[in-house]
Amino acid sequence: MTMAQASHARAVPMHDPFRIGGFSLVAGKFSFLLPFVVLVAIWWTIKIAFDLDDRVLVAPPDVLGALWTLFSRGILADYAATSLYAIAVAIIFSACVGVPLGFAVGANKYVARSLDLFLRFFQGVSGISWLPLAIIWFGFSDTTILVIVVYTLVVPVIFNTMVGVRAIPREYALSLQTLGASRLRVVRDVYLPGALPSILVGLRLGMGYGWRALIAAEMLVRQGGLGDLIFGARTFGQIDRIIGGMIVIGVLYIIVDRLIVQPIESLTFERWGVLRK
Amino acid sequence: MTPTVQGDKIVVENFQHIFDSADGPIEATGRVDLTIPAGQFVTLVGPSGCGKTTLLKAIAGFIDPTHGRILCDGAPVTGPGRDRGVVFQELAILPWRTVRRNIAHGLEIARAPRQEIDATVKRLIELTGLVGFEDRYPHELSGGMKQRVAVARTWAADPDVILMDEPFAAVDAMTRLTLQEELASLSYQTKKTVFFITHSVDEAVFLADRVLVMSRRPGTIKASIEVPRRTPGGRDWESFTTDTDMQAIVEKVLRLVREEKTAHKKDSAPVALEAAG
Amino acid sequence: MTAIAHKPARKPVRGRDIVWMILPAIPFVLLLAGWTIYWAIVRPNMGTLPPVWTVAQTLWQITASGELLGHIIASLGRLVAGVSVGIVTGVLLGFLVGLNKRAAEFVYPLVIFFSAISGIVWLPLVIGWLGLGPALFIFLIWNTVFFLVFQNTVLGVQLVSEVLELGVRTLGGSRLHTILNVTAFGAMPYIMSGIRSGLGFGWRALIAAELVGASSGLGQMIFHAAEFHRADIILAGCVVIGLLSLLMDRLILVPLERRTIERWGLVTPGAKGA
Repeated sequence: MTMAQASHARAVPMHDPFRIGGFSLVAGKFSFLLPFVVLVAIWWTIKIAFDLDDRVLVAPPDVLGALWTLFSRGILADYAATSLYAIAVAIIFSACVGVPLGFAVGANKYVARSLDLFLRFFQGVSGISWLPLAIIWFGFSDTTILVIVVYTLVVPVIFNTMVGVRAIPREYALSLQTLGASRLRVVRDVYLPGALPSILVGLRLGMGYGWRALIAAEMLVRQGGLGDLIFGARTFGQIDRIIGGMIVIGVLYIIVDRLIVQPIESLTFERWGVLRK
Repeated sequence: MTPTVQGDKIVVENFQHIFDSADGPIEATGRVDLTIPAGQFVTLVGPSGCGKTTLLKAIAGFIDPTHGRILCDGAPVTGPGRDRGVVFQELAILPWRTVRRNIAHGLEIARAPRQEIDATVKRLIELTGLVGFEDRYPHELSGGMKQRVAVARTWAADPDVILMDEPFAAVDAMTRLTLQEELASLSYQTKKTVFFITHSVDEAVFLADRVLVMSRRPGTIKASIEVPRRTPGGRDWESFTTDTDMQAIVEKVLRLVREEKTAHKKDSAPVALEAAG
Repeated sequence: MTAIAHKPARKPVRGRDIVWMILPAIPFVLLLAGWTIYWAIVRPNMGTLPPVWTVAQTLWQITASGELLGHIIASLGRLVAGVSVGIVTGVLLGFLVGLNKRAAEFVYPLVIFFSAISGIVWLPLVIGWLGLGPALFIFLIWNTVFFLVFQNTVLGVQLVSEVLELGVRTLGGSRLHTILNVTAFGAMPYIMSGIRSGLGFGWRALIAAELVGASSGLGQMIFHAAEFHRADIILAGCVVIGLLSLLMDRLILVPLERRTIERWGLVTPGAKGA
């Protein structure tokens, strides 16, 4: 009886206007592509409807063509590698130097108090602001770019590590100490997992700042990298290369952010969600 | 089909709610028929997951019945309305409004004149023992106080019917006793129709004019027990616990509820059961 | 009585209070001292690293001449314009999308992609469209702020406890009333943290954009100085940039949060970056 009734039950409506027969763009695995299809269609329509010059806006296939040219000649790999290398160095450096530093700062309330404003101030002076000085010191070189990106990334990492350590309730450490745990053990079992969510927030935020600072620095220093690629293309009015480059910049960022950083972050948040603040 | 008689506030006819889940349709309730006369205080007890809350939500107008219909004053319920106030188990008062403004909210919505709002709010603040806390924000109050605000807010809006879903479940045991006594006298003084869901058999019998017992999922109303009011103007726990007639009713209801719980165990209920709550 | 009881308790704390007060200054003092010592020993070229006092002097000079103020006004004007547009569009669209689940599902992939390339990345393309005028800067800041405010608003709107909304509906509140009185307030902590990080990102994007091309603004001031090897101006400019960023946070956002979110006992969520 129950089953018969159930089949007549008014189902919770599953709205899916994009269902064509048994196939659905929305419910499927590639549903995320649909909005982009719509976007490209609008872009193309604008291009045709306003009859825009190629120096203002190019048609979508031209961008694909430009990307293919850049890719097949190895130019893209070259430029992208330069950018990825810089951001990778900055991330590794920030994790290796910024996190221990953040711990050292956060573990003592006097040190934390003294460095709070200092770090906030330098977080306010964005990395890119140091670019003119870095150019004077290191010239138009890769070193300049690396310095800028490392600076941009390391400050939020130190800061957020410090905040994370400070946010851990004292009772957690105390209760472990009453069990006779050593200092090292307290750090390993309380401070590290407790501060991890905050550290990852710092890394992620830093990466957002760092990636943009990198692109901006590359535009100005002009020593390779994706920023150089799109800014250089502007000089020759190659809109196809600019848009192609932008797509690459976005996709690379999403890959790093969504496929590496975010899964780790959400994992820690799910397990230690209580400390999120 | 019971015809709608004059004086029947709420009529539930052949009601059933079925919702879709990943494992197919789930019956949140069985077929329910229920009539609540105007001015009656009805409590509903039953094992968890039997569909008590679903029934309340349907009367409130938050969900549509899959089968049957629900009438309020002879008119079908189509959505939430100010004729049916709800006091939730979770805190539903707004954190950004002071006690006074939370209680006044319903009257503000109804665009009642200033003096009327002030008078009503003052009266309810006195009735619910919130004098002195008028300008506090909810986060500054204890759990019991917050729930008093929620009750006062609902009463201030002056609905005909008040639906309460385990409103005191999250309050500490001592406070709960006071709140129950206060509610008993408040509902007596204001002569509201109340539909009150609870887990606690003591609470159900203490407050009610009539106790309904729901069977395990998919729940139906399996018993209806009248509770004679001995003392006009409310009840108190002291005389309730020493009143042998009352304790006999408690015993009886307890037995009915327990039957459902043991039956539930024997059948080894499906996992989805709790979801139906 | 209480006043009397307080007084003796206060005195011994005083010394510690002063230490506590001056603690934030220590790293700055150490930095300046280190800088001065380095300068005294190495004696670098003035154009590479001037001594502290030269930077202070330069800062005073450009302040007195009004040059600095002009750049600050130019930069802040762009920031205010871009951020305002970003907040208004971000909040409005955030509500629209947050209240409509299907809209959210549709826009979300686009938002992820475009927030990944928000800000300075648009510069080469948009220079061609808007030229080097104010529209370019406003666009770049808007583009940065919008996504942060938008994403946080959507999140905030979606996370407002349903029971709060239902509670007001049963008091007779219309859908619009509920959105204005419940959803808007409930989403506030998220909106605020979106604005906060939006302001941070926007400020960076602006400085970067001004470096690349502008006739005024702090970014242009320091980039221009680099051409003449005026490290003193650059350093003075960096100090101003940092101070302004701190002041905006302390004087606008922190008090705003204190008057709303903290007063209501809500928790400020971690900002959703990028």
